[in-house]
Amino acid sequence: MANITLTSSDGVDVTVERTVADRSVLIKNMLEDLGETGESIPIPNVNEAVLKKVIEWCDHHKNDPPSAGDDDDNRRKTTDIDEWDQKFMQVDQEMLFEVILAANYLDIKALLDVGCKTVANMIKGKSPEEIRKTFNIQNDFTPEEEDQIRRENEWAEDR
Amino acid sequence: MVRSLEHLPEEIIHLILCASHPRSAAALEQTSHRFQNVTNEPLLWRHYCHVHYKSWDKKHNIPQRLSDPVSSVDWKTLFTLRFRADQSVSRLLDSILASQTGRIEKFRSVIDFGFDAKDTLVRHSRVESGEDHLARRYYARALLTCLHRSIAIPEWAKLRRGEPVSIDRAMAAFDLFIPETGFGDLDEVRVILDGIIARFRALHPNIDSLRPRAKALALASWLQENDFTGMDPERQYHSLEHNFLGLALRSPGHNSLPLVSAVIYCYAAQNLQLDARPCGFPFHVHVIISPPSGLDMNGSTFCGEGPSAPMYLDPFRGARETPVSDLRDQLVFLGATDAEQAEFLGESPLAQIILRCSKNILNSIHSVSHIPESHGTSVDVVSAKYAALWSSMLLSGESRPMDLRHQLPWLMELFATDFPSDIFLIEQHIVPLFEGLFEHEHILESLHVMRAVDEIPKQVHRRSNGKKDIRYKVGQVFQHRRYHYRAIITGWDSECGAEEQWMRRMGIDRLQAGRHQSFYHVLVEDRSVRYVAEENIELIVPEMTDLPQSLTMIAGKHFKRWDGITHTFVSNVRDEYPDD
Repeated sequence: MANITLTSSDGVDVTVERTVADRSVLIKNMLEDLGETGESIPIPNVNEAVLKKVIEWCDHHKNDPPSAGDDDDNRRKTTDIDEWDQKFMQVDQEMLFEVILAANYLDIKALLDVGCKTVANMIKGKSPEEIRKTFNIQNDFTPEEEDQIRRENEWAEDR
Repeated sequence: MVRSLEHLPEEIIHLILCASHPRSAAALEQTSHRFQNVTNEPLLWRHYCHVHYKSWDKKHNIPQRLSDPVSSVDWKTLFTLRFRADQSVSRLLDSILASQTGRIEKFRSVIDFGFDAKDTLVRHSRVESGEDHLARRYYARALLTCLHRSIAIPEWAKLRRGEPVSIDRAMAAFDLFIPETGFGDLDEVRVILDGIIARFRALHPNIDSLRPRAKALALASWLQENDFTGMDPERQYHSLEHNFLGLALRSPGHNSLPLVSAVIYCYAAQNLQLDARPCGFPFHVHVIISPPSGLDMNGSTFCGEGPSAPMYLDPFRGARETPVSDLRDQLVFLGATDAEQAEFLGESPLAQIILRCSKNILNSIHSVSHIPESHGTSVDVVSAKYAALWSSMLLSGESRPMDLRHQLPWLMELFATDFPSDIFLIEQHIVPLFEGLFEHEHILESLHVMRAVDEIPKQVHRRSNGKKDIRYKVGQVFQHRRYHYRAIITGWDSECGAEEQWMRRMGIDRLQAGRHQSFYHVLVEDRSVRYVAEENIELIVPEMTDLPQSLTMIAGKHFKRWDGITHTFVSNVRDEYPDD
């Protein structure tokens, strides 16, 4: 099958197999609507580094069967991420968030899921203070507010 | 570039939270103002409610709320409520496992959560490992089935009071007694029945334009062709599972007794606007279909005296109309009077059908017990018998106190040994039946004793030096020297602690070591509880897989788990036998 050229937001052309590019519903629809003109497709929201990372994922998953749809049962298995994906997601937070945004923009549901699950696992089991540390979040509550919210969420401490 | 979680758009944070445990949402909310909105989205908490809890008590009215606008329901509060119920039920179960004392009140507290307790109990009833998994499974399962019975029994009680009850629910109540059927709610049976009707209708788009007789026959023949009624001739007619409506509908061959086939037929026929009801014909339940008023079964105007003649069908045998003359001949042959004939050929009240089903179940149990090694049945006999006794007690009717009296001891014994968590059901539904009768005081007294015994800590049996040797321990498995059954030791006395009368009847003094040897309480593989002299015990060292599943299932009543090294069960009655 033919190759497709994508142009990143910082103006770099990246060539990929059609089957790889088709993992993105956005690109797939575009190609179906416009036909393969041979011209490169601009991806204005994604820079080269992120685009290459996303393509790496798409290439590895190009032969995956179509997803079973987003029923709740699938989403429930929060911690189930396959080994390759886990390794793939071992990147700094900035890249992780960029990949998630790119997956969202390019409409690659399975990659978006893996990204969200990865962040979910980073939050899992942590106290509010530990979450602040992990993600560098500023505590902007007054002590009174903090106390109030803590009491509202006491149920979650109950193990 | 996005530098931090804080800079992600709300929709992405929402997705991350959807993939998280609700605890994470609660923790994230507490980190900064940034996350307060997204962690309190009603849509998010509706998602949690939906994904984390399958069963909800009816009081929450979840189906209605799911169709309401999402913002009109406080989903977060609902979730926390349900979450707390989950935690409470887990803690109650832990506490039930931890001590033999005060269990009745704890059972009650769990059941008071209604269906909010169900997911928790299902979860615990499936644990495969863990320090006390046998006990956990046993008690979770006992409570789960108690929960199911607390839905089933009121249905029969309603029927008893003469309130309207639909035929499918009254029959499905039997299924709820049997854990193996997998049914957890009365409506589940109806869903299957409605599915069958939908299939029939799809294949017969013109069914509503048919005349009553043709319609009735078309339905009977389709049900028969698709095996929804009747029974494979190869099958054991009296097999226990043929008595249960839900089980018949769900099992591959849908084999069922005439009564159950008739119920399936009647439910479907009523849906097609036919006036079909089970008929009280003896030995073999038929269906009677009455014509619509002013018409006969062929749909013509009827102007004769009274209603036009009904038709009779036997859905168990298929789509052949049974001539009323055949039925009459049989009744005459049986010596029925004219009045009896009218009764047998008329429609049978639902309570009578349920009673008949109850008798059929007891018959099946009786005949199964005569077939050695009839392990083909997937239905737990004890639970089936319990269902039959309950329905028959509730529906026997005040005019027949003898029936009540006759069955009371059976029910009470089964309840005390196998279903003690049902004490409040007995108090609520059985005690009032005996008001004014001689047994009333008796029942109250025994329930009172049961509660009192439950509240007092068990008498401690120590293996002190002063006492003579008690050779065997709680948890060991043995074979009876004389009767060869396998059993587990659940307790002991240093000498025979039974009453004099029992000892005499059992010929205890004819034993080699007589009554002054150690005696053991044991749990036998047929689920019975016995009292065995030490000299009759021959220890065996089986693997757990060598023991019948029926035994390992109920072992959880007294034991935490199996110890594969010592080949014994690990005691959960150490409050009673601390040294074992």
